Amino acid sequence: MSEAVELTAVSKVYGKGRSAVAALREVTVTLPKGGFTAVMGPSGSGKSTFLHCAAGLDTPTSGSVRLGGTDLSGMNETKLTELRRDRVGFVFQAFNLVPSLTVEQNVTLPLRLSRTRTDKALLDETLRRVGLGERAGHRPAELSGGQQQRVAIARALITRPEVVFGDEPTGALDTVTARDVLTLLRETVDTLGQTVVMVTHDPVAASYADTVLFLADGRIVDSVQRPDAADVAERMTRLGAYV
Amino acid sequence: MFALAFTTLRHRKAAFAGAFVALFCAAALVTACGMLMDTGLRGKVAPERYAGAPVVVAGDPQSHFLKDKGEGEFKKKSKPNTARAWIPESTAATLRSVPGVRSVVTEVTVPVMLRGAGAVDGHGWESAGLTPFTLKAGRAPAAGGEIVVDAGSPHRIGAKVNALTSFGSGTYRVVGVTAQRLDHQNVVFFATAEARRLASAHPGQITAVGVWPASAEKAVRDALHGTKVSVQSGTDRGRVEFVGSDSGRVKLISMGAALGGTSLIVAVLAVVGTFGLAVQQRERELALLRAVAATPRQLRRMIGREALLVGFAATVPGAVAGLFLGNAVHGAFADLDAIPANLPLVVGPFAPIVAVAVTTTAAWLAARISARRVARLRPVEALGEAALAPARAPWPRLAAGAVALAGGVVLTFVLRSIHTEAGSGPLTPVTALLFAAGVALLGPVLARAALTLTGLPLRAGGGVAGLADANLRTGARRFAAVLAPLTLMIALSSTLLFAETTVKGAARTQAQTGNVADYVLGPAVPSPAAESVRRVPGVEAVTEVLHTRVRGVNSPYSAQGVTPAGLSRTMDLDVTSGTLDGFGQGTMAVREGLGMKVGDSRSFAMGDGTPVTMRVIAVYRRGLGFGDLTLPHALVAAHVDVPMGTVLVSAPGVDRAALDRATATFPGLRVQERATAPEKSGGSAVNYLSLGLIVAFAAISMVNTLAMAVAGRVRELALLRLAGATRRQVLRMLRLETLSVVLVATVLGTVIALVTLNAFSTGMTGSGTPHVPPLAYAGVIAGAGLLALLATALPARAALRNAPAETIGARD
Repeated sequence: MSEAVELTAVSKVYGKGRSAVAALREVTVTLPKGGFTAVMGPSGSGKSTFLHCAAGLDTPTSGSVRLGGTDLSGMNETKLTELRRDRVGFVFQAFNLVPSLTVEQNVTLPLRLSRTRTDKALLDETLRRVGLGERAGHRPAELSGGQQQRVAIARALITRPEVVFGDEPTGALDTVTARDVLTLLRETVDTLGQTVVMVTHDPVAASYADTVLFLADGRIVDSVQRPDAADVAERMTRLGAYV
Repeated sequence: MFALAFTTLRHRKAAFAGAFVALFCAAALVTACGMLMDTGLRGKVAPERYAGAPVVVAGDPQSHFLKDKGEGEFKKKSKPNTARAWIPESTAATLRSVPGVRSVVTEVTVPVMLRGAGAVDGHGWESAGLTPFTLKAGRAPAAGGEIVVDAGSPHRIGAKVNALTSFGSGTYRVVGVTAQRLDHQNVVFFATAEARRLASAHPGQITAVGVWPASAEKAVRDALHGTKVSVQSGTDRGRVEFVGSDSGRVKLISMGAALGGTSLIVAVLAVVGTFGLAVQQRERELALLRAVAATPRQLRRMIGREALLVGFAATVPGAVAGLFLGNAVHGAFADLDAIPANLPLVVGPFAPIVAVAVTTTAAWLAARISARRVARLRPVEALGEAALAPARAPWPRLAAGAVALAGGVVLTFVLRSIHTEAGSGPLTPVTALLFAAGVALLGPVLARAALTLTGLPLRAGGGVAGLADANLRTGARRFAAVLAPLTLMIALSSTLLFAETTVKGAARTQAQTGNVADYVLGPAVPSPAAESVRRVPGVEAVTEVLHTRVRGVNSPYSAQGVTPAGLSRTMDLDVTSGTLDGFGQGTMAVREGLGMKVGDSRSFAMGDGTPVTMRVIAVYRRGLGFGDLTLPHALVAAHVDVPMGTVLVSAPGVDRAALDRATATFPGLRVQERATAPEKSGGSAVNYLSLGLIVAFAAISMVNTLAMAVAGRVRELALLRLAGATRRQVLRMLRLETLSVVLVATVLGTVIALVTLNAFSTGMTGSGTPHVPPLAYAGVIAGAGLLALLATALPARAALRNAPAETIGARD
């Protein structure tokens, strides 16, 4: 089993009747274990929906999603939540942290919710890895945007998930801070063998990935291995993203 | 999870402040009402006059009924009497022969209007030992014209004092003053024989017998077993000394229950509102929790636990505050004569414990209701920067709203057919509350529809007004949260206030149009005085009037006793069927709507518990002004404590001076022209007090919901400032928004009140038009509007004081 995520003929339609909008159309793709995949596409191409369906945040209208060999179809919200809790990590663009909890509490939140004892060594190791070993007791409001994203990454890693999903994780950061965060994600892939799937619209961010998938109009229209930023930007231009 | 809930609470104090305030007040109100009920259940009036007699034998303070439950089954029911039941004098003789009884003291009680001292109880000197009263100065009364006054009396030895009794007027000389005075009654002692003469309306009867020693109690009980007299000892002696105390206690229970129940419903609505808003303001955080790892169940539990924590933190001090509130309310009720002043407040652990338990449970329930929405929240919504899509109102909520409205409609039909204040009293606020709850549940839908309408002029206004309109329409859900408590406050206060004015107005109109006499004599007229007026030339009719309460198996009735002769000349009851021509012994007239018709015979207990059966000979319309039942004066006079009432005189063309002369020998009586006769005012003040408490509570919850809503928009307001809006413009925008909501709430609240009042008025007065004093209505609306504006402006001003850039920069 070398696939972390496997989508088969996944479609997602919002609304009904005349006002129905197809966000994904028959998408079939496998994302390899231990790989760093970036998903790109112009606005409205369905990249967020792709991420939501792949991560079990949303259920597809048709088709099947397998996450580490488990079929997600037919799972109810509680089962999906438990699956996300144990096997998926998330880094969102913003609002990643619960403002009332400290860094350490935010990081261990998934463990707390699943009533798992926190492995102190793992916690220290994770916080050290993201460079926040000194800041465990701080609250989100006392951190910079980049630091907040690092906390979010630490939280995503703490459960040793099969996949970490990022939805524009650098979207709200400046270039320098963004580079730090992307480097951190790259490291987790290289040193921990972590699978990372990231939605982005930034060619530079995408260039940190092993593979870039291009979505347009709900379909995967292109893919690049070992991308460089210029190549990605050019392909995006062809997709009409920068017209 | 408790730890998580606790951290959130500590961090988001502001969001929970609203719920805290609502729960604090609810716990205080429920505690206060609980104390009143507790007092009603367990309160005891301590004996004063009977304090020295260990065992007191007196009339039964309760009436007993057999309620037919159908199928040959009967249930025994006992209801407190409002007048003293007399007992046979032979009881004393029986008691003297009971083994173990050392001594026996008999007592009669007669009402006396003593010049300079007002209404006092007159007794024979024989009963001085019951207290015991001793002489401080002078001597015991011996002759018929001698009296002893108590230490509190303004009269001195040797003074000649005029006294009115039901036998007429008399002048007595003070021969002694007692060393004691009683806290809650003034007494005067006659010579024993004179007292018996004054009590001769109850031939062969006395009011009480004191028995010594205490050890004889069991023997006394055995000896009197099977008779109608009651044997009391300890604090229970107060029950027969102060006959009204039992009914006062019953009244406390029902008032406490009605007030407590209403405030509890208001509390639940308020807490649902504030929790709903608090949850709404934290939606993104909760969605994040969902995305990260919390199951819907965990989220619901977390919110439930937050509620429990807030609940405890708020209701425990609230219950403590309630102890003081209960004390104040009890004092106010006693001052208004709604309850006996000597019924002490029972301060026990029950009321606060129950209040904390009930309000905390209510908070938990309210939170779980608010959490339903969150549990359905899609975790996807936490992602990205985009604003959360406004969720459509879920159908269970709409269904519940529809059910509440339907329930309200059903209750209006029930109200229409209820003609007694005891029934419609508690039902009326419940009807209004159901409607208001329906509006709260349907709020998002209603708000969207209504605010579109009020938005028309705003949109035309452009600029700040247009911004206010846009806010209202996009934030319909938030405004629904504000709309609900405003509507509730306006609906509830209008309904309660104008139900009162409707009944009072109808009663006043009926009493005024029904009173066709030329003169009114009062306040306590003995029959001989009425007789003397009858002999004045030109006087056509004299009607003596007494008021009392009687009791059927299922319902109490207000009743007036009137002398039958010439009744139609002094009083127009607006008879709709039958006739008052044959009115006299064994017959009565009843107001319509009581389910009695001409020819029916009804049994009930008089004020002192004596059972009577009367035949209905007429049904009349003006029951609110005169009473549910109209009975023969002689019957009522025999069964009330004070058989002296008002007198209506029909004497066209007779000078007032002639009547004054006729009553000159009865000092203290007043003759008044009908137009200037004082109206009797009932328990309005008490109702207004309860109304005030509930409305104050509704106002508090309205204010804190509004303040919360503004506090949740601090960033938005800062953004407006950064975009170039002046402080004044932001405040003006908020003011316009609030006014729009007030307008919608006014319309909704008024409609609710009118529908409820229409049903209430139809049932109670027969007319569907409630009596609404325009000034009072304007006051209610203006008050609500002003409060709403204040509740918006104050937190907004506080928020705008900070530099906008700083507010925006501060992370959520």
